[in-house]
Amino acid sequence: MERYAAQARRVARAVLGDPDDADDAAQDGFLSALVKLAQYDSRRPFGPWLMRIVANAATDRRRRRNVRRAEPLDPSLVGGGPRPDAAAVQSELGDRLRAALAELPERRRTAVVLFDVEGYSHAEIAGILRIPEGTVRSEVFHGRRRLRALLEDWKEQGK
Amino acid sequence: MKNPETFDHRPDPELGKALRAALERSDTSAFVARVMASYDRALEQATVPTWEVLASWFRPGVAAAIVALIAGFLFGRVVLSGGDTASIEMAMAPAEGSGGGGGLTALVTAPDPPDASVVFTSLVESR
Repeated sequence: MERYAAQARRVARAVLGDPDDADDAAQDGFLSALVKLAQYDSRRPFGPWLMRIVANAATDRRRRRNVRRAEPLDPSLVGGGPRPDAAAVQSELGDRLRAALAELPERRRTAVVLFDVEGYSHAEIAGILRIPEGTVRSEVFHGRRRLRALLEDWKEQGK
Repeated sequence: MKNPETFDHRPDPELGKALRAALERSDTSAFVARVMASYDRALEQATVPTWEVLASWFRPGVAAAIVALIAGFLFGRVVLSGGDTASIEMAMAPAEGSGGGGGLTALVTAPDPPDASVVFTSLVESR
């Protein structure tokens, strides 16, 4: 679970935006996967199977977002982040990227994150999102355009 | 950074790294602990407590023991009470009357079911 925890949280966050909601969705996904573990076909890669469950859990949660709020993490368990100055710069870019991601349709931003961040193939993403492979290619292409433009602006500003 | 207009089929490491940093949360171990705690809670709720299983076995056992005790008490009362032999003999009369020494045969072949005390008595006497 340690191996896929960070990945599941990122994918859920790509769908939901809010980090606490994303953690709840990732948790739902893991619990659901543990229950369905007997259904997993061990001849196939585990990551796409798990990410499909997590993405579904995140989508379900987005639909009923205001019904249940996130259970807060124990502050004593939360580790330290980067130094404050580096964190501020990183945080500004992060805020912009998250805002740009939020502007994209859900399927598009999920496809970009699965492809560029998690390294899944178009075929695997097609299986995760249950859409044709050609649609995945198109979603990744259009999603990247917006995000790359933003990143270029950021670099030109010398940050 | 790759050309934004290129329909590229390979992951973009730079964009991937930036997105990863934007989406990452640092407290993975806390998250894992939380999920495992939640899983344990779910397991506890889904598991039937052991004492409930034992209780479900216990109830029919107690009922069977009570029935056996009552049956034993009644049987013992019939066998041991010497003053009641007259009533036993009366109850056995149909069986004895049908064939003298063939009490058991008569019991088995009789058209009406015999009284339980008749069965017990005939068994005891046959020994």
